[in-house]
Amino acid sequence: MMSLLSVPTTSALPSSQLIPASHPAVTRILYRLTRPSLLSLVLDWLDERNQETSGPYLLSSDDEDDEQDFYPPASSLAALREIYTDLQARKGSKRDVVDRILEGDWRYGISLYQLAMADMQYLYDHPASQKWTALKIVRLSGEYIAPNDKEHPSIPRFHPATFLRNLQREALPDVKAHYNLDRHPTLPLLILRVFILESPYNTGLALHSAKERTTFDASKTFYVAFPDFSPYIYVSLAATSSSAPGSVSSSADNKSLRKLMLEGIPKAFSKPRDRFKLEGTSLSAKNLDVLVERRGGGRMNAAGGGWGVYAEDKKKESDNPLNVQLPTPESSILEDDQEDKDSAEKKSGMKRKRVEDPSVVKRRKLVARGRFGKSAKADDGKGIERLDVRLEDHFPTVSALADDDVEAEEGTEPARKDKKHKGRRSTITLELDRMEDVDELADDGWRPDIRITFHGQHVFAGIRELIEAGIVDGEKMPGWMTGEEGVSVGVVKDGRIRGNKGSGL
Amino acid sequence: MIPSVDDSIPEDPIDFQLDNEISDLQDQISALKAQRSIQVSTILSSQSTRSTLNRLRVSQKQSKLSPTTTDTTPLLSTSTAQLVHTRENLYRLCAGITTFRIQDPDPNAVDDGKVLGLRIDVASTGKFVRPYYVMLNKPFAGSELLRVHRHTIPPCIPLSLLVDRYLPNGKGSAAMGSKEPGAKKQDLRRFARALRKEIVGYHNRVSVIKGLRKEFKLDEKVSRKGKGRERVIADISAADAEAKQVRIEWVDGRIGRCVVGDGGEVRKCVVIGEEGRDFETERRVARGAMEGIGERLREGIY
Repeated sequence: MMSLLSVPTTSALPSSQLIPASHPAVTRILYRLTRPSLLSLVLDWLDERNQETSGPYLLSSDDEDDEQDFYPPASSLAALREIYTDLQARKGSKRDVVDRILEGDWRYGISLYQLAMADMQYLYDHPASQKWTALKIVRLSGEYIAPNDKEHPSIPRFHPATFLRNLQREALPDVKAHYNLDRHPTLPLLILRVFILESPYNTGLALHSAKERTTFDASKTFYVAFPDFSPYIYVSLAATSSSAPGSVSSSADNKSLRKLMLEGIPKAFSKPRDRFKLEGTSLSAKNLDVLVERRGGGRMNAAGGGWGVYAEDKKKESDNPLNVQLPTPESSILEDDQEDKDSAEKKSGMKRKRVEDPSVVKRRKLVARGRFGKSAKADDGKGIERLDVRLEDHFPTVSALADDDVEAEEGTEPARKDKKHKGRRSTITLELDRMEDVDELADDGWRPDIRITFHGQHVFAGIRELIEAGIVDGEKMPGWMTGEEGVSVGVVKDGRIRGNKGSGL
Repeated sequence: MIPSVDDSIPEDPIDFQLDNEISDLQDQISALKAQRSIQVSTILSSQSTRSTLNRLRVSQKQSKLSPTTTDTTPLLSTSTAQLVHTRENLYRLCAGITTFRIQDPDPNAVDDGKVLGLRIDVASTGKFVRPYYVMLNKPFAGSELLRVHRHTIPPCIPLSLLVDRYLPNGKGSAAMGSKEPGAKKQDLRRFARALRKEIVGYHNRVSVIKGLRKEFKLDEKVSRKGKGRERVIADISAADAEAKQVRIEWVDGRIGRCVVGDGGEVRKCVVIGEEGRDFETERRVARGAMEGIGERLREGIY
C-alpha cells in the first residue's frame, strides 16, 4: 500500500504503483476500450506472469465473507479467470465489466502497469489515434571518426534495459516517469510508452496530488516506437488539444517536459566516445505501416514510388538470374484488371463528357504504373494523410500546360474530401486565387510563394487515381507527387524536393 | 470429403464440393501455364530452333507469302529477346555485379533523367536472394560526379560509409578518370566491389547463425523421449542489425556475446555465468572462424 513517508528520489515510478480505483482517469482510460478488448486485457492481467504488477483482490483465508459485497472476491486466480472468460462468451454492457473491475476485483487500485497496458490496447485498437514523426538517429559529426572506422555500426544498438536506465538518468529529478515497453502485435516495432508525472516523489501520495485532473492528462503520456534494425525512431506528436483556457500554462509545461524526454533519447543511445543526436526526416503520418516501410529496416527506405519495383517482394523470384523465362511485358499484365477498372470508374461518378477510348484508359493506367509502380494503391493501407509542399520554382514564362495540371490537382484532390475539412478548403481557394492573379504579372526570375496541401485518407493513392482518370497528366507530373521522396513536408525547387537527397545518405 | 459444418451457416455440401473442384482446376491451370512458359523459353533458347526459324525466313522471302505458311517474324523477335535475356542472366550469374540504364520518369529529373543502375546478385544458402540495386545519377552541372539517387540497400549495410569513402561528392572530390592531382577521386568499381563484399558478408553471417541454430536443434521442438543428448545451448541469435554480434545462451544460465569481424572471424567473446566469467569457453569460442563456433562449443561440452 501507500507508504506514509515520501522521500525525493531519482528513480522511475514502479510499475506496481497503485492508483485508486476511484480516480477519474482510471475510469476514463478503461472506458475508452471496447468490451471485447477490455475483457482480453483483464485476462492478460490475470496471467500468472503478471501477478506482481497487476494482481487482483482475492479472498484470503482470514477474510470474512461480506454479505454486503456486491462483487464477492474470488478465491483463486483460476476462478477469476473463469468468471471473465464467461463474461467474454456472454453479451452484456461495457459498464458492467468496468464496474466489476473497479469495485470488485481491483478495488484497491489499478497499477501503473495496468493503465499502460490499457493505453497500449487502445493504441492498437485505434492505430490512427497518434500522429507519428520519424526521426533519424545520427552519430554526432566531428567526433572520433577513424579513417577505417568499422567498429561503429551504422545503426546504434538498442538494448531495452540499458536504454531505459540511461533515459531515466536523463530525466530531471523533479519529474517522475513510468516506462512501459511493448511489442507491436503485427509490425516489427517496439513501442515505449512514457508517462510523465511532475513530482519529486515516486510514491502513491504523489499520484494523489491535488491536481488530480491534470495528472493523467493524455498529453503527459507519449510514445516512442523503435523499429527493428533501423536507424530511425518514431515519436508520437503532442495531441495539441488544450481546449480549456486555464490549461495554457500546463500545456506549455507539458511541451517542455516532452522536449526534455526527446532530448534524453539520443543521450540514452549514446555511450562514451560514441554519441548520437536526432535529426528530422520530414516524414510524419498517422499510419505506422507507412513509417515502417519508408523509415524502417527494409529495402524501401530510398526506393519509393515507382522505384519500389526494385525493392518489393516479387512473386516466385522472377528477378532471379536462374529464371529463364522472359519477363512478362507490362502491357499484358494490365489486361486482366481492365474490367475492374471500368466498374470502378462508374462508381466514382466523375462526370466526363467524352467517351473513354479503352486504349487511352489503358495508356493512362500504364503511365500511372510507371510512375507509382505498385505503391499508392487505395487499399494497401500505407497512406499518409497529409502532404505539405512549398513551391519555390521560377514562375514559368510560357504559361504552359504543366501549370494547368497543377491547378487541377489542387482543385480536385481537396475538393473530393472537403465535406469533412471545410476549414482547409478556404486556404486552398485562397491559394488558387493568388495563382490566378499571378498569371498576369508573370515576370522572369520571379518566384511566387505557393504552398500546396494535399489532404485525405491516402494522398498518393488519390493522385494515382487522378492520373488514371486522366485529370492529371502522368507524364508531366513532377516526381514529388508520386511520394518517391518519402517525405510529408518539403520545399520544391526546380521541380524537385530541395535538400532531400532521396537516397537518405 | 465433406467437413463437419458449423451450426452457424448450414452450407450446401454440393456447393462446397464444386468450389473445391473449381479451385483445384484453377491451380491446375496456373501450374500448366507456368509449365508452358518454361517450355516456350526452352524451345526458344535452343540453337536448333533459331536456325530453323532463320531457314524458314529465308525460304519465305524467296517464295511469295501464301496464307498457309506462318509468318516467322514475331517468332524470330521473341527468340532474339530470349537470347538477350539469357545472356543477361549469364552475366548476372558470373559477375555478381551488373549495370543497366534507367530512365527516371520524373520530368524534372537531373541530367535528363539518365540513371545508372547497379545490380548486385547475391546467393545465400544455395539460392539467389532478391538482387540489391543502387541507382546513380550525375546531379552536378558541369561535372561528372556521381551520386546515389535511389537504392534498395537495407540500413544494416553501411552504405553511407562506403559512399563517403569511394564516391565522395563534397568539396575537393573529382570524378572518375580526372587527372586532377590531390583530389579525392570517385571510384565506382571499388565502391561496387566493397558494397558487394559487405552484402555477401552480411548474408554469410546470417546463414552461419542459421546453421548454428540448426546444429544445436534450436528451432525444433524438444523431444520428450530423451533421445540423443540433452540440450545445452538454449539460444543462439544475432544481437544487432548487421549480425556482427552473436548472442549465445546456455541452459545453465550463462550468457555469451561474441563480436565477429568482417572476414567472419570471431574477434572477441565474453561469457558470463552466475559465478562470473567463464574464461575457458571464451577462449574456445574466440579461437577461429565464426562457422566453427558450434564445433568448438561441442568440444567443451562433451
